[in-house]
Amino acid sequence: MKPIDIDDVLRSALRQEVAETAAGLDGLEERIVLELGERRPRLRVGEWMRQLIAPTRSGRIGQLSLVGATAAVCLLIGFFAATRFSLDGGSPAIRLEPSRNADGTQEVLFVLPALDANEVSVVGNFNSWEPTTLSDEDNDGIWTASIPLPPGRYEYAFVIDGRWWGQDPLADEYVHSFGEYSSVRYIGGGDGA
Amino acid sequence: MRVARRARWIGPVVLLLVALGLSAHAEIPLADYEAVLLAIPVSDLGHVLGAIEFGLSQPDFPAFETMQYLDRLAASRYSAQEREALLSDIVVALEEGLPIEGLVTKGLEGLARGVPAAGIQQSLHQRLVLLAETRDLLYAKGIFSVAPGSPQSVDTALPTPRFNLLVTHISDTIADYLEGGGSPFEGQTLMQEVRFRLTSLEGAILNATDVELVLKRIEPADLTRVALSAVS
Amino acid sequence: MYRVQDEVSLLRASLEGETEAWGEIISRYKDAVFGLCLGFLRNRADAEDITHDAFIRAYVNLRRYNLEKRFSTWMFTIAANLCRNRLRYRRNHPVAELPAQIRGGTDPAKIVAADDRHAAIREALSKLPYGYRAPLVLRYYNDLPYREIAEILAIPEGTVKTRIHRGKAMLKQRMEERDPA
Repeated sequence: MKPIDIDDVLRSALRQEVAETAAGLDGLEERIVLELGERRPRLRVGEWMRQLIAPTRSGRIGQLSLVGATAAVCLLIGFFAATRFSLDGGSPAIRLEPSRNADGTQEVLFVLPALDANEVSVVGNFNSWEPTTLSDEDNDGIWTASIPLPPGRYEYAFVIDGRWWGQDPLADEYVHSFGEYSSVRYIGGGDGA
Repeated sequence: MRVARRARWIGPVVLLLVALGLSAHAEIPLADYEAVLLAIPVSDLGHVLGAIEFGLSQPDFPAFETMQYLDRLAASRYSAQEREALLSDIVVALEEGLPIEGLVTKGLEGLARGVPAAGIQQSLHQRLVLLAETRDLLYAKGIFSVAPGSPQSVDTALPTPRFNLLVTHISDTIADYLEGGGSPFEGQTLMQEVRFRLTSLEGAILNATDVELVLKRIEPADLTRVALSAVS
Repeated sequence: MYRVQDEVSLLRASLEGETEAWGEIISRYKDAVFGLCLGFLRNRADAEDITHDAFIRAYVNLRRYNLEKRFSTWMFTIAANLCRNRLRYRRNHPVAELPAQIRGGTDPAKIVAADDRHAAIREALSKLPYGYRAPLVLRYYNDLPYREIAEILAIPEGTVKTRIHRGKAMLKQRMEERDPA
C-alpha cells in the first residue's frame, strides 16, 4: 500500500461520513424551535421503560421491577403534568444539570416521579447510605432533592415508602450490589452538561 | 494472598503514642474509636485500635465514614461474632496500609440494605483481596506510592493519596464486575470496564496523567489474574 | 468580525426567549455538532438523537453560559458530555455500529483507492477506544486547537497531544494490517 497521509485521509473520511448521513439534519432547527415553543421536552421513554421492567440478573421479575414499572408510568404522567405548568424562558420545569457552588461542589438534582408515594428518599455513598428525604411540595408527584456534591462517583438508590429502587433513569450507569441494582452518577469534569 | 499479622504488643505502644498526641485526625479522637469498639464489642481491643491508629496516620483516612460504620455495627442486630467478622477485613486492610474507603462504603451499604452478615463479609473479603492484588499489580508495573511532599524519585512514584485512589477504583471496578456475574476470564471486558471507570473520573478525582500511566501499563491478562485471585 | 458579533446578538436574543434566533444558531452549528456526535458514537441514530438533545439542553441552560467565552467550546462540551452518557448506556444496550461504507452493493473492481482508504480508516476509527477517538474527531473533523479540545474533554493539553499521536499510530497500524504493502 502506498504510504498514506493519515491526517488527510482522516479528515476527508470524516467529512465524507457526515455528508453521507447528514440527511437527518434537514429541518432540525425548525423542529427544535417548534418543540421549544411548545415547552414540552422530548421523551424517549420507550427504552427507559424497557430497561426499568427488565428482569434482574437471576431472571426474576421481582417486586423491584414492579416498582420500576409504576415509577415509569409515574414518569410519563409526572413529566406531562410538570411541563403543562412550566415557566417562562422556555425552560422545562425541571433543571437536570448540576450548578457549581463556590466550594467546588455541584448541586446535583435527584428527581423521581412517584405519584402514589408517601415518602421518598435517596440513599447513597454520599450520605453513608442514610436517607436524605426528597420533597414534593407542590404535590405533582415529582419528588426532588438538591444535594451539593464534590466531583466523584456516586452510587445510590431511591427508597420509596420503605422499598429500595435502584434504576434511576437519570443515572449514568447501573451496578449490581448485593443482588440488587444501584444507580451511579459521575459528577465533575468539564463545564456545560 | 499474603498478609501479615501485627504483633500484639503494638496495641499498648500505640496507645502510648496517642497519649503523646500523634493522632493525625484531631476531629475524631482515638478515644471515641475506643469507646465504640468496646460497644461492639471487639475481643482484641488493642489489636483493632492499633490498626485504626495506623490508618489515622494516613492523610486520606476516611475518619467520618469509618466511625459511622463502627457506630452502626455497634447498634446493629448482628451477633457479636458477626460484627467482628464484619470488621476483620477492614482491620487487615488497615494493617496492610491499603485504602479502606471502598470497604467502609460497601459495609455501610450492606448494613443499610439489611443484608445478612455473611453476604456483607463475603463482599468485603473479596474486595480486600482485590485491593491487595491491585496494589501488587501496580507495583509490578513500576508504579509506586510515596509520602506526599517528598520529591518523586521517578515519574511513576505517585503521592500516596493519588496512588490509593487508583488502587481503590481499579479494584472496585473488578469487584463490581465479579459481583455482577462477570467472568474473570474476559480480560478485554475487564479492561474496558477499568478504562471506563478511570476515564470517567479523570479531571474529577483522578489525575489524567495517572490514569494514562496506568492504562498504558496494565493489560487484560493482568486484570484476569487479579480477578482470579479473588474468586479462587 | 461581523459574523462573531452577529452570533452574540443571536445568543442574547435566544436568552430573551426568541426561539427563532436559536434556530439560526442551530443551523450554523448543526453540522459541526452532528459530525462530533457521529465521530464519537459511530452510530447514526444515536448521533441524530444526541445532536437534537444537545441543542435543547444548550438552550435550556443558556443562562449559565458566559457570553464572553467561546460559544463553540461550550456547545461542543455539552454535546461531548451527552455522547459520553449515551456511550455508557450503549455499553449495556449495544446496537450495530456504522458500516465502513454506507453505499450498498459495490463492485469490488470499481472501488477507487481513495474510497477504500476512507472505508478502512472509518472502520479502524470505530474500533479505537473512545479516549483516543474523541480527540481525533475534534481535531480532524472539527479542526479545533489542542487547547479547546482539552477544555471540551476536561483533560490536560499534553494528554490531548499524546492521545492524538497514539490514536493516529493505532489507525495507521490497523490500516496497514488490513492492506499490507
